[in-house]
Amino acid sequence: MIRFLWILTVLFFLSTETVAHAQTDEIRFDRDIRPLLSNNCFHCHGPDDENREAELRLDIEEEAKSSAIVPGKPNESELYARLISDDPDLKMPPANSNKELTPEQIKLFKKWIEQGAKWKKHWSFTAPKQSPLPKVKANHWARNSIDYFILHRLEKEKLKPAKEADRRTLIRRLSFDLTGLPPKLDEVNAFVNDKSANAYEKLIDRLLKSPRYGERMAVNWLDAARYGDTSVYHADGFREMWAWRDRVVDSYNENLPFNQFSIEQLAGDMLPAPTIKQQIAAGFNRNNGTTDEGGLIPEEYRVEYAVDRVKTTATVWMGLTMECCQCHEHKYDPISQEDYYRFFAFFNVSADEGKQSRERNSSPLVKIADPEKEKQLPGVQSQIAELQNKKDIHSKSVDVALEKWILQSEKQIRKQKPVPKDISLHFPLNKGKDKSVVNSAHPEQKGEVRGKVDWVKARFGQGLKLDGKAYVHLGDVANYERTDSFSYGGWVWVDPKASGALLARMDDGNKNRGYDILINGDGKISVHLINEWPKNAIKVITKKGIKAHQWNHIFAVYDGSSKAKGVQVYVNGEFWECATEKDGLTKSIKTDKSLRIGSRNPGSRLKGQVDDIQVYSRNLNHEEVQAIAEKNPLDSVLAIESKKRTDDQKKHIREFYLENEDAGYQELAKKYNALKSKEEELLKPLTTVMIMSDQKKPRDTFVLARGSYDSPTEKKVQPGTPPVLPPMTKGFPANRLGMAQWLFQDNHPLTARVAVNRYWQMLFGAGFVSTPEDFGSQGEFPTHPELLDWLAVDFRKSGWDVKKMIKQIVMSATYRQSSQISKELFEIDPENKLLARGARFRLQSEFIRDNALALGNLLVNKKGGPGVKTYQPPGLWKEVGLGGKPLFVQDHGEKLYRRSLYTYWKRSAPPPNMQIFDAPTREKCSVRRPRTNTPLQALVVLNDVQFVEASRNFAQRIISDGGKNKKDRAIYAFELATSRKPTNVELNVILEVLEHARKRYLNDPKAAKKLISIGESQGTVKLDAAEHATWTVVANMILNLDETLTRE
Amino acid sequence: MNPIEEYNIQLTRREMLSTSRTCLGAAALASLLGSSSVSNGANKETLKLRGALGKPHFPAKAKRVIYLFMAGGPSHIDMFDYKPILKEIHGKELPESIRGGQRLTGMTSEQKSFPWVAPMFKFKKFGERGTWMNADLLPNISAIADDITIIRTMNTEAINHDPAITYINTGTQQLGRPSFGSWLSYGLGSPTEDLPAYVTMISVGSNPGQALYSRLWGSGFLPSRHQGVQFRSAGDPVLYLSNPDGLDRPLRRKMLDGLAKLNSEKFAQMGDPEIKARIAQYEMAFRMQTSVPELMDLSAESKSTHEMYGPQAKKKGSFASNCMLARRMAERGVPFIQLFHRGWDQHGSLPKNLRINCESVDQPVAALIKDLKQRGMLEDTVVIFGGEFGRTIYSQGKLTKDNHGRDHHGRCFSTWVAGGGFKAGFDYGETDDFCYNIVKDPVHISDLNATILHCLGIDHERFTVKHQGLDWRLTGVDGAKVVKDLIT
Repeated sequence: MIRFLWILTVLFFLSTETVAHAQTDEIRFDRDIRPLLSNNCFHCHGPDDENREAELRLDIEEEAKSSAIVPGKPNESELYARLISDDPDLKMPPANSNKELTPEQIKLFKKWIEQGAKWKKHWSFTAPKQSPLPKVKANHWARNSIDYFILHRLEKEKLKPAKEADRRTLIRRLSFDLTGLPPKLDEVNAFVNDKSANAYEKLIDRLLKSPRYGERMAVNWLDAARYGDTSVYHADGFREMWAWRDRVVDSYNENLPFNQFSIEQLAGDMLPAPTIKQQIAAGFNRNNGTTDEGGLIPEEYRVEYAVDRVKTTATVWMGLTMECCQCHEHKYDPISQEDYYRFFAFFNVSADEGKQSRERNSSPLVKIADPEKEKQLPGVQSQIAELQNKKDIHSKSVDVALEKWILQSEKQIRKQKPVPKDISLHFPLNKGKDKSVVNSAHPEQKGEVRGKVDWVKARFGQGLKLDGKAYVHLGDVANYERTDSFSYGGWVWVDPKASGALLARMDDGNKNRGYDILINGDGKISVHLINEWPKNAIKVITKKGIKAHQWNHIFAVYDGSSKAKGVQVYVNGEFWECATEKDGLTKSIKTDKSLRIGSRNPGSRLKGQVDDIQVYSRNLNHEEVQAIAEKNPLDSVLAIESKKRTDDQKKHIREFYLENEDAGYQELAKKYNALKSKEEELLKPLTTVMIMSDQKKPRDTFVLARGSYDSPTEKKVQPGTPPVLPPMTKGFPANRLGMAQWLFQDNHPLTARVAVNRYWQMLFGAGFVSTPEDFGSQGEFPTHPELLDWLAVDFRKSGWDVKKMIKQIVMSATYRQSSQISKELFEIDPENKLLARGARFRLQSEFIRDNALALGNLLVNKKGGPGVKTYQPPGLWKEVGLGGKPLFVQDHGEKLYRRSLYTYWKRSAPPPNMQIFDAPTREKCSVRRPRTNTPLQALVVLNDVQFVEASRNFAQRIISDGGKNKKDRAIYAFELATSRKPTNVELNVILEVLEHARKRYLNDPKAAKKLISIGESQGTVKLDAAEHATWTVVANMILNLDETLTRE
Repeated sequence: MNPIEEYNIQLTRREMLSTSRTCLGAAALASLLGSSSVSNGANKETLKLRGALGKPHFPAKAKRVIYLFMAGGPSHIDMFDYKPILKEIHGKELPESIRGGQRLTGMTSEQKSFPWVAPMFKFKKFGERGTWMNADLLPNISAIADDITIIRTMNTEAINHDPAITYINTGTQQLGRPSFGSWLSYGLGSPTEDLPAYVTMISVGSNPGQALYSRLWGSGFLPSRHQGVQFRSAGDPVLYLSNPDGLDRPLRRKMLDGLAKLNSEKFAQMGDPEIKARIAQYEMAFRMQTSVPELMDLSAESKSTHEMYGPQAKKKGSFASNCMLARRMAERGVPFIQLFHRGWDQHGSLPKNLRINCESVDQPVAALIKDLKQRGMLEDTVVIFGGEFGRTIYSQGKLTKDNHGRDHHGRCFSTWVAGGGFKAGFDYGETDDFCYNIVKDPVHISDLNATILHCLGIDHERFTVKHQGLDWRLTGVDGAKVVKDLIT
């Protein structure tokens, strides 16, 4: 019975909150009635006409009052009759809806109708207005405007605000809230002892100026922007967006106004003559997950990316659940499916594709120069100019020697053996610039370059550099049978271990039918003639290999005998002996696949340079091959009478002479080339950032039936904003940039409210609207609507000044309250909605780790750069990775101690010590983190290497700096972690644990050594192992204190 | 009385008695009275948590689920959906009329030839009903044919791994939604004192193959305490479980005693019930440090049990070892245990790799069913064996005498279920002669999820969480239905 009474008491306390409004006189439609209608009725009587029952709409005043509601007369109102009906067929909401109204809620409806059923547009769709400050009794308490609103509500509820927190609590609270880091002891003491009237304000100004402020603010923005270092879908491979993240940090530190910041995040690429910073900022909407899956249908994912961008943009700036109308009309908010696709159209014209890279970045992207390298560049470039000059001078000084050499060479030509004339295919690869190459023996025959190639200076003038993926498609030529005799080959230049086909007409997919000449990884040359590999084929392979990094002429001659001994291989005109590996060809080698330079079909792609490819329809003899191989590259030019040579030809001769015959010039050229390589290296960007960019020719947008990428309807839409919100200002472009500007129009009802609400949430643990992601009909009604609106307007009027807004909030008396909770107050307001006390909540994951690093003096305050891979248990990536890859390779040195903001974020397996403390995976936008309290969290701070190492470094600091006796040290340790001195009781507990630990480690020095060896950092001072281990246990205990983990 | 209901009622009494004199009482009662707001996570003194549902919607047949997830898309054709006619059509071209304009993945949409492939294995009829199964690869599973129900008409819209595996595990292809296990943790709570409500384990078959993602056992928009806790074979079985080297358990106890005193002091100063919850979580962590290693220690299992699960069970991290662990967890009351077994994505070399995969699962899975049965636990444990989709009847890549591959196929695939209220020795659904389209009784992946929830006493339509203004369900809004014919 006693228990029963107790339940009743608590029930009473709980119900005061929920039904408080029923007892006050005026029913507010937006606060009291609309949420009930929305949650219980709109599904069938709301904006979506597909589901609408009985043609009744309750989301529009006129329609509701034309049939279901008679203002002033609940008993004549069908709505009320249905709510109180006993007839299951009439009763609303119907049983199968799983919805039910409480008697108190039904009473609210009655009272509201009695009072005239006053209607109001949903609060958040009307532009905010600043109401005058409310009148309060205890106005001496109020420090700024915020406090009038808070106090007014408290006085109405007959509550008093809490006393101001002490200075130690305040500095710790502010330091974590504004920089995410604990205050230092001297900062605490300075603040405690600062007698000046504006001590508090000075503290705030100092913290807002700290570069740590930008990092702290960025942490929250990264959740909203779904930032990560990997691509999310399928392989979840590496990508590089950290320069975008660093730009966010800088923007906060520069206090870029929120409107400018936002426009750059959403459309920095579209600003007139955008700066590199603005372009980088436009990476915001490229942080979405992308896929590389082999079997994907690219269009499906391209649409998915646009859907994600709509969702993220609407959530972050407007608190709208626009994604609800991808497939159908919004069930609760007045946004139609067509409205959705008009908004979607802003993103449907993005230039990035459905299939993106498995590793690294996909275009469009912006390259970011490396400032360190940029510094070196001018020096290198001036050296290049200097050498070029020297080369030019040298070049002009060789006339006499050149003339002599030309005469000699001309004589030599006359002695040379003639090259065979009956060539079938000859690709000198000289004229190529883009994709087409010509058979100079039959100029009507052309080949085509497939893939990306570089045209480079080669053996004879120009040649082709192949990257191991590209090749040259020559078409249906040289289609020889095994009974034909033919000869083929050309010049090749490869790196050591490079392999691939120089020339082949071979079908890999049909048991390798065809023929080829192939460079093996060891430099050996093999020739295949195949009907069906390995059963019916010839294969010979040279016994030695060619030299890398020089031009080699490789050539195969076949006599049509279908025997291995009928195949001969020549290298640089020399006959090379071969081993026979297969010698059983009895069937056709003809294939319908084409002849290719640099590839079989489709495999064996060559990486290297090629030049002067030739094919003859007979078997050449040794001398003929020699003639081809030994041919002087200048032969054709030298054969021309000297007077008839063109300027180009003369230039060609001079260059050849300088490069091959003039040692002085060669020396200069070597230096010059080395510098050019260095320049190329210096010009490589430090990093790239994927950015938003629209297609040159924008694609049309159609409403997609049921939101499905493959079901476009015929309804074509133009980009635009939802009509429930104010129209775009005339003159704004109907694109992403215009949309971003529209968000900051004076009459936009959502943007400022949504932003201010998030700042409030950051500083009080919850926003006025406790659903920061939903300001729509189904979102929570604000706890302090007038204050939210007052701040929203103030924010806009301030020029969207973020630091000013944050300063204003933390300057308030409301913020400064102590977070002590009395039992009575807790029972009245467990969630602290009324703010009759300060907020007290556990630190977010990043700050828990940063705090431990700071206390251990380990924290490296270095800004920016690629994500760092800090300690994590082994195997986490392997367990989930595609084919077990990639493997996690931990970083070392200072990278282990950077702020957690910089931790490498793999989104399919986020850092576990962050995720356990409620960090989201960042696969999707999130603007609110849950705050749970679990045993796994305890295990992290107790046992994770990162925290044990921090404990041992904390211990070292305690011993070195905390004074000589254990009491002083214990006080020092406690104060570092909590910014206050321990009570005697607390001190005694610490000392008790200390003595236990000391006893343990004095008896077991080995255990002590083990404990103080955890982690990679080196101790800075030599300490007694037992003493160090003892204090490590105490330090670890202090890191685990609720107070250490909490901002209060 | 229903066991979950019973434990909830007991728990309610205990909570009231133990906490009624503190502020925590109010929070506890708030949640007890049906406040299911996600943000309002009330804190308890053990891992034991009441679920948001309070009590099941109707009497439950099952208390727990063991989900054996074969990641990559096991070939239904080569395991459970055999027809003798396949032999006759082997090597012939799949006509367009049967494909019916189906979406093909980008891997075979360019393929010119689609030759039919009959399984390159021996099939026989098993069990009283004479159901076809692969006699070469499944000698043990086929022997328990009378204990299992084969659903041959599972289907999904997804055709690629990432979306498909996300879909079946979270009820949607969209990211950010809670996984099946976390839904149950949220809804039914955790009945165990010192183990989590949702445990996952990963093992590898023929090769690691396709990727997994923490979202597959993640909590989506539910509080993160509901996410699956991964138990691991290497290192700590639960992340960060063991004390650091050089800090032993007695000293840890002393330290935690000190910590608890300091935190109690803080509670006295501040009055924040969250502090009391924190004290409890540290105690819980301390208990887990012994309960988890005890659970993971298979040496306590009898010789005959080891023989039943096979030699692989001795190898840490093997699927067999995980099966034995699953049974131990089930015994200790863990309500949702999910084993991911990787490497079922046979685009090529199917005959070889399918054999390797089956060798790694056949004996342990059959052992698990027998083991549960002989301990009287099969009747209240749902066991599911299946993947995210099936594979195509046509060959991907070259069909040779003894080798071929198969691409992804979502239109039909086979999953089998046992125990926990499902029928035994039963087959459900029919596919056409080519294992390509469903002829009769389709079971969408959401239908199966709805049916499993039903076995647990949950009406999937009433099991909702409000998020972003909408009432979300595990089974979505596309009319998922409980397949009554599958249950007793």
